[in-house]
Amino acid sequence: MAIELERVDDYRYRIPQRGDMRVPGLIYSSAQLIDDIRQDRSPQQVVNVAHLPGILGCSIAMPDIHWGYGFPIGGVAAFDGDEGVLSPGGVGYDINCGVRLLSSRLERGDIGGRLADLATALHRAIPSGVGSKSHRRLTAAELDRVLVRGARWAVAEGYGRPDDLTCAEEGGCIEGAEPGEVSDRAKERGRPQLGSLGSGNHFCELGYVAEIYDEAAAAAFGLAAGRVTVLIHSGSRGLGYQVCDDSLRSMLRASARYHIALPDRQLAAAPLASDEARRYRAAMTGAINFAFANRQMMTHFVRQALADFFGARRGDGDGELGLDLVYDVCHNIAKWETHAVGGAERVVCVHRKGATRAYGPGHPSLPEAYRAVGQPVLVPGDMGRYSYVLVGTERAMAETFGSSCHGAGRRMSRAQAKKTARGRPIFREFEDRGIFVRSDSAATVAEEISEAYKDVADVIDVMHGSGIARKVAKLVPLAVVKG
Amino acid sequence: MSGGYRQIDHTADVALELWGDSEPALLDAGARAVTELLTEGAEVTDRAGRDIAIDAVDAGDRLVQWLNEIIVAAVSDGFLYRAADIELDGETGLHARARGESGAHDRVVAELKSATYHDLVVERGPSGWVARVVIDV
Repeated sequence: MAIELERVDDYRYRIPQRGDMRVPGLIYSSAQLIDDIRQDRSPQQVVNVAHLPGILGCSIAMPDIHWGYGFPIGGVAAFDGDEGVLSPGGVGYDINCGVRLLSSRLERGDIGGRLADLATALHRAIPSGVGSKSHRRLTAAELDRVLVRGARWAVAEGYGRPDDLTCAEEGGCIEGAEPGEVSDRAKERGRPQLGSLGSGNHFCELGYVAEIYDEAAAAAFGLAAGRVTVLIHSGSRGLGYQVCDDSLRSMLRASARYHIALPDRQLAAAPLASDEARRYRAAMTGAINFAFANRQMMTHFVRQALADFFGARRGDGDGELGLDLVYDVCHNIAKWETHAVGGAERVVCVHRKGATRAYGPGHPSLPEAYRAVGQPVLVPGDMGRYSYVLVGTERAMAETFGSSCHGAGRRMSRAQAKKTARGRPIFREFEDRGIFVRSDSAATVAEEISEAYKDVADVIDVMHGSGIARKVAKLVPLAVVKG
Repeated sequence: MSGGYRQIDHTADVALELWGDSEPALLDAGARAVTELLTEGAEVTDRAGRDIAIDAVDAGDRLVQWLNEIIVAAVSDGFLYRAADIELDGETGLHARARGESGAHDRVVAELKSATYHDLVVERGPSGWVARVVIDV
C-alpha cells in the first residue's frame, strides 16, 4: 500500500500520523528525488519507526533515504529519556561508520604528474580490502583500552596529534564503554582489524577544494580553494558488525518481554532504562570508540605516507604539510544529547542511521574555532564525482535534532553495477577523468562506479534549500583507495 | 537432502532466496549460498570439520544465526563450508557438524557483515521449505 505523502514545501514531505503511529513522519526531499523514494518503499520504514514507544517530534528521514534494516538509511529518531527505547536497527551493523576530513597546505599543482604514484603510495600505506588487517597486533588488554578510550588511545600511542581530539565528534571518545559487554566473538573479529579500511564503500580519498560557497565557514574550517584534502570513510569493522548481531537477539527477546509491538523485527528494541538497553549501550559505546581509534590510526598512516611522498619531515607534529583534522563525524550511532523539546531542554536518545550530526552555531560542544559558524558536516559522494562540506544550522537544531544527510545512496544493486561495468576498462575510465583508483578488488570498484549512486549534489541541494545544513565547499577526488 | 538458492537483486545489499525439501536442506542451501558470496564461487573441498550449536528464538532467527555462524567461521577462522550433518531441535535448536576447508582466509574475497532479519521469511509449503534472507554487505 502506498504511503501518503503531503508536500509541506519544496523540501519537506509529511507522512500524516495514522493508525498506531505515535508521531508523523517527515522526509526531507525534493520533487526530483521523491519519486525514487516512493518506489524504494523506504517511506514505509519511516512509518514503522514512528510506532516505537517514546519517539519525539517526528520520524525523520534525510534526502539520501533508502531502504535499510528496520530504520531506513537516512533515518533519524529521538526518544524520550524515560519512555523511549534503544534500537540497534537505528544504529546499524557498522556502528560509528563515519567520515573524517583532513585539510592541507598542499596545492593541487604540488602533485605535478605524480598522481598515479601518490595513489599507489596511499594504497600501500593503508590496510584495505576484504579482511584487511592492522599493522599492529593488539593484545586483549590493549583492545579493551581501545574500547574505553577510542581515539584518545590512538593519540597516546603515537597515532596522531593531541589537537586531533578537539576536532572530532565527542572528542573521538564516548564515556561508558564496558569491554565486558562486548562478546569474545566481536573482539576476535575486531582485534586484527584496528587501523584498516575494510571493504565495500569504505575509502580513503585524496582530492582538492574545487569550490567554496561560504567563505567565512570555509576559513574557519581551514579550507581554501585549490588546496588538497583527504577524506577517510570507515567504521568499526567486524567488531561493530558482531556487536550489532549479538544485540539483535537480545533485543528481540526484550521486545517480547516489554510488549513492544514491532512492525519489523529489525526494529527490535528495549526500554532505555532496561538492562538489555544498558548492556547494548555499553557494547555499542565500545564499538563507537573502536571506530574512532580506527579512523585516527589511518589518519596517522596518511600523514606518514604524504610526508614520505613529498619529502617532508615525518612526525605528526611537524605541520609542514598541514594535514590538520577538519572534523570527524559519525553517521551510524545512538547518542544521548540535550535538545529542546516542547520548549524545554532535555536529554534524549538520538538514533542516526546513515545521518550526520549537524550542530548549529553557538553549541558548546563544538571546538572554539567553529563555535561561531557551526559544525562541519562531511557528506561523501561517489568516487567519480564530488563530495561536500556543509555546516550545521540552528534550523537543524529546531527540526531534526541537529541532524543532516550522510551521503548519496545507491541507485543500482551491486550485481547490476558489476554487469554495467563488465568489459569496461573502469580504472582507465577514472584516469581519463583525472582520478586514480587503487584497490585490491576490481569487483569492488565495479560495484562502486558512479552510475551505481545517486548524485549527491541533489541530496545537498535539499539540505541547503531546507536550511538544515548550508553548503561550504565542494571537494573533487584525485586519488582514491577503495577497500 | 536437496535444496538450492538464487540471488535476488537488491539495491544496497544481497538478497537470497533459498529452498529445500527439508529444513536442514534449506539451511544447507543457505550456507552454500553465503559461501559462494564470500569466495565468489570458489570450489571448497571436504577436509576439515566444525561443530555449530544454536539456540534461537524461532525458525527465522535460527536461519539468521546459522548463516552468521558460517560467515564468522569464514572471516575469522578461514573455515569454508561445503556441507553439514544438521540436526534440529524443534523450531529453535540446532546442532551441526559442518565439513569444509580450514585455514582458507585468502579465499574469502567478499566482505559480508551479517545476515539480517529484514524481510525475513522462512516457511514450509506444499513442495518443501522456502526462505528469503537479506545479507548486509
